Amino acid sequence: MSHTQVAPQHRGAVALLVIPVLAGGLVAAALGVYGELHPPTGFAVGIAGFSGPLAMKVWLTTIAAVLALVQVFTAFAIWGRIPVQGSWPGPVHRWSGRLAFLATVPVAFHCLYSVGARYDDPRVMFHSILGCLFYGVFVTKMLSLPKRGLPGWSLPVLGGLLFTLLIGLWLTSSFWFFTTIGIQF
Amino acid sequence: MSRLGPIYTLAVGAVMTAGLTVASATASPAIQETAAIPAAAPQANTEATPEATPEPTADTADATQEPEEVAAPEQQEDPTPKKADYAGVVDQNGGLIAISIRNGKVVGYFCDGQIEAWLRGTAADNTVTLEGKDTLVTAALRGGKAQGRIEFKNKSWRFSAATVKKPSGLYRATAQVRGARVVGGWIKLPNGQSVGRLMIGENAGEAAPAFDGGVQEWYGIPLTPQDPDQFIDAFLS
Repeated sequence: MSHTQVAPQHRGAVALLVIPVLAGGLVAAALGVYGELHPPTGFAVGIAGFSGPLAMKVWLTTIAAVLALVQVFTAFAIWGRIPVQGSWPGPVHRWSGRLAFLATVPVAFHCLYSVGARYDDPRVMFHSILGCLFYGVFVTKMLSLPKRGLPGWSLPVLGGLLFTLLIGLWLTSSFWFFTTIGIQF
Repeated sequence: MSRLGPIYTLAVGAVMTAGLTVASATASPAIQETAAIPAAAPQANTEATPEATPEPTADTADATQEPEEVAAPEQQEDPTPKKADYAGVVDQNGGLIAISIRNGKVVGYFCDGQIEAWLRGTAADNTVTLEGKDTLVTAALRGGKAQGRIEFKNKSWRFSAATVKKPSGLYRATAQVRGARVVGGWIKLPNGQSVGRLMIGENAGEAAPAFDGGVQEWYGIPLTPQDPDQFIDAFLS
């Protein structure tokens, strides 16, 4: 692909992002609309082992945030910005990402099904918005990954956005819980 | 594999969400707990009524101790009990409602474990009217019962709450932790059924475990439940 003309190739490469970005936008909007319209049930099935749903969400989000740090480190290694031996950064990046995503699913499910989007308190408002954006960007990135010939900046930008959104979500939930209630399981 | 990997990841997330949705829609513990009771609840209410009915009069007699000369003419004008506690099941919703009257002031609480509303209002002419966030309650007081209707958001349910005596009734606990306000609310019925909710701030909360009346610990925060006599003034101020 490096042999074709630069300009059309570049246009084509950006065009490859159109469908992933549209799909991600639809997901983010759908989550926001659901969070707004669905009457909160106040209850949702979650992961057992914590003293309550708040603790479950706080710790799963923390696990995801720690895995997100692994994501950033392995991404730097994949792109050669951090010199490492061996080919492990790729698989570690993929699997830490999958686990981080799956750790967030029960959390987001509880948030949206049981509570819903709220805008009456700054912490909760930012958390609601970041949460919807996070899954939108995640879908965009997942749909972009299999595509060949994307602009070089697309995956780092999407990954960086995901990391920023997840840390924002962690700060507006787990960090708030730890600093308000304390380290509780 | 590597090209489909991300799609599999999304698919697993979608399947997990679907599983959680099905599980949550079918298993709703607070509703199960209350749904098992309604058959027994009206019975308990009617049982409670005959013995409970004389209670408001006994209470008014107690209350008249101090200002006897005022109480007599007032009672002619307004038959509303000076002090009464009601608690009962909300039809269809399955949650509980409690209403406590203290000298014309009224506090109330509606909770099914999942949704809740703290209520405040007035009592006159054997009628109570209470308001809370997205909630309006009106009830007629007669025969030792408060019977009426609760409007919560865009829903409306009927309820019948019988007079109850401590340890049944309404409880509330508040605590302040590092800039956030923690509020617990519980209702206990004479048949042992209880419901409650614990909130930190306006937006984060959980259903309360079964209520035994003592100090409730929530994530290490001790909450001391108070009855309406203890909390009504602070709550209404």
